[in-house]
Amino acid sequence: MKSKNFVTRESVLGLIVVVFMIFLSITTNFDSRNGVFSLMLDISPIMIGSIALSLVIVTGNIDISAGTIMGFVAFVAGYLSKAGVPFYIYITLAILTGGLLAFLNGAITVYFKIPSLVVTLAMNMVHLGFYATFLPNSGWVENLSASFTWFGRGSFFNIIPYIFVVAVIITAFMIFIMRYTRFGKSLYAVGGNRQAAIYSGINPDTTVLKMFVVEGLLLGVAGILKATTNNEIMPSTFQGREMVFIASAVVGGMNIMGGSGKLLGSTFGAFLVYLLSITMIYLGFQDYYQFALQGVVILIAVYITVTDFNKMKQSIDRKIKKLGIREAK
Amino acid sequence: MKKLIFNYQSILFLVLILLIIVFGILEPVFFYPEVMFDVTAIIGEIGIMALAMTFVITTGGIDLSVGYIMQLSGISFGSVFATTGNLFFSIIVALLVGTACGIFNGLVIVKTKIPPIIATLATMNLFRGISFIIAGTDSFTGFPDIFKKVFTYEIFGFIPISFIYLLILFAFYHIAYSRGRMGRTLKGIGFNESSLIFSGINTKNSIFISYALSGVMSGFAAMVYLGRLSAARTSMGDGLNLQVITAVVLGGTSTMGGVGSVFGTLIGALIIGVLRKGFTLLNFSGNIFNFTLGMLLIVSLIVFAMLEQRDHIQKAKVQKN
Repeated sequence: MKSKNFVTRESVLGLIVVVFMIFLSITTNFDSRNGVFSLMLDISPIMIGSIALSLVIVTGNIDISAGTIMGFVAFVAGYLSKAGVPFYIYITLAILTGGLLAFLNGAITVYFKIPSLVVTLAMNMVHLGFYATFLPNSGWVENLSASFTWFGRGSFFNIIPYIFVVAVIITAFMIFIMRYTRFGKSLYAVGGNRQAAIYSGINPDTTVLKMFVVEGLLLGVAGILKATTNNEIMPSTFQGREMVFIASAVVGGMNIMGGSGKLLGSTFGAFLVYLLSITMIYLGFQDYYQFALQGVVILIAVYITVTDFNKMKQSIDRKIKKLGIREAK
Repeated sequence: MKKLIFNYQSILFLVLILLIIVFGILEPVFFYPEVMFDVTAIIGEIGIMALAMTFVITTGGIDLSVGYIMQLSGISFGSVFATTGNLFFSIIVALLVGTACGIFNGLVIVKTKIPPIIATLATMNLFRGISFIIAGTDSFTGFPDIFKKVFTYEIFGFIPISFIYLLILFAFYHIAYSRGRMGRTLKGIGFNESSLIFSGINTKNSIFISYALSGVMSGFAAMVYLGRLSAARTSMGDGLNLQVITAVVLGGTSTMGGVGSVFGTLIGALIIGVLRKGFTLLNFSGNIFNFTLGMLLIVSLIVFAMLEQRDHIQKAKVQKN
């Protein structure tokens, strides 16, 4: 295609983010070393988490238990680190925990054909109850040594955190996978039109299951990135993170019905949602205004996407009618 | 073909009785009539919201915001009562707030075509945020005795009046659901919405009403809750949506829509009440209750899905013959 349209949703979002940042650095001390550093530190887990949720949303599912899965991952990492297990082993085990828990969600969703919303909502509660009941000290791990926090707090040239580099690399990798591999395309196919996906030789059940495992591994990474910045871990504080991720994904143009949206968009969405929330803090609003803000942001973003989607569908229908092709039912 | 004697609801009823017996053996106090009637009192608000939720889930939708609608209307009751001191006016405001939230949900879902799960997920956070903005971390207490009496009076000294309210509402909902036109339309929407539209039925109207009713019931549930516990705080709605959904799904209403039972919902709510009371008597923490509730929801979903699949297989066999 020669005449490429540059006014895409992603470019507009990117522009908004840049303008927002310039605006913030003019009005506040956002552009200081601390401001930039804490931005990169805070945004890294949100970037990975929003990509994980984007994968789920693209296939037309949703995951309410994402936050509590991250809590589990953080607990496993912290607990093993405290027990003296070497860094690479506990990181791997923690990420695998995320994959396993998400696989459980996916397996129940796929094999029993239960809407993922209800399954993950129940799992959210199971996880929370599990922390408090079965984990030692309600899952609270404190006084973690520098051997745990060096990863989350360390930085290149004293300005770029390690975790931000990891987040950017994984984001780039996932964008590549979604755009150029069979797996990425099959996710869009399953979310867009399940029947058509089956006819073109994709098994939707296995695809969705694979997607859940990948999502879990990504959540594992996000959990590690978040956990290693602190020297204490309380799994139940991770509850509610999924709302930020869902907000980022839908602001970035992920269609909640499944089948369309780009990961680059949800990355910008993550930046936008985060910038909005820190602006609220700069303006002196209390913490709990964030709940209301997230609700409104999600509603507006989904409204825009859904109306766009419906318009597109109608125009396709009109074209089909013009051509005189009957819809095969 | 021989008709099945054990349908889903009767199995559920057996489970309820089994649970009561198990808890009674573990803690003999459980068999006392006061304790049994206390079970019916503590499911007041959950049961009332679950009745409305049955309608919503039957259409194939879901309302995640019920708990926080209840919280918002409870908080507005508390704050209006604290400022004006007029009980009647505060009750009206609380019910209106609940209704307004329900109407907002319904309008968003019907007008913008946003899927219900994501719309109510967003409004859930919105309502929660608004209630925090009104109240902060304060709690409102000190409601007059007459208010408590209206919602906790015990008929003959043992039957809690909130259970009577629940039964009256249950009767209305049950008739509307299984005999009325409303229920038939709702099931039709859950089963195949397009065919209803083609037969000239205004499906949007029914969907809107089901969400609005959910809001009204949440407002009323807030009153029942405050009558019993008499403190409006910003944590009163936490986790309630899951309990309500569990009651409905446990009662045999399919999350895919189209099939359901109001009677099942009542039994589902009773099972939740029995579990809650039993766990309290056995000195288990609230977290174990949450854990069990989540597991219960998943298990009941799986059992119901397997039963549905069995039905499908049987139907396919009949068609083949």
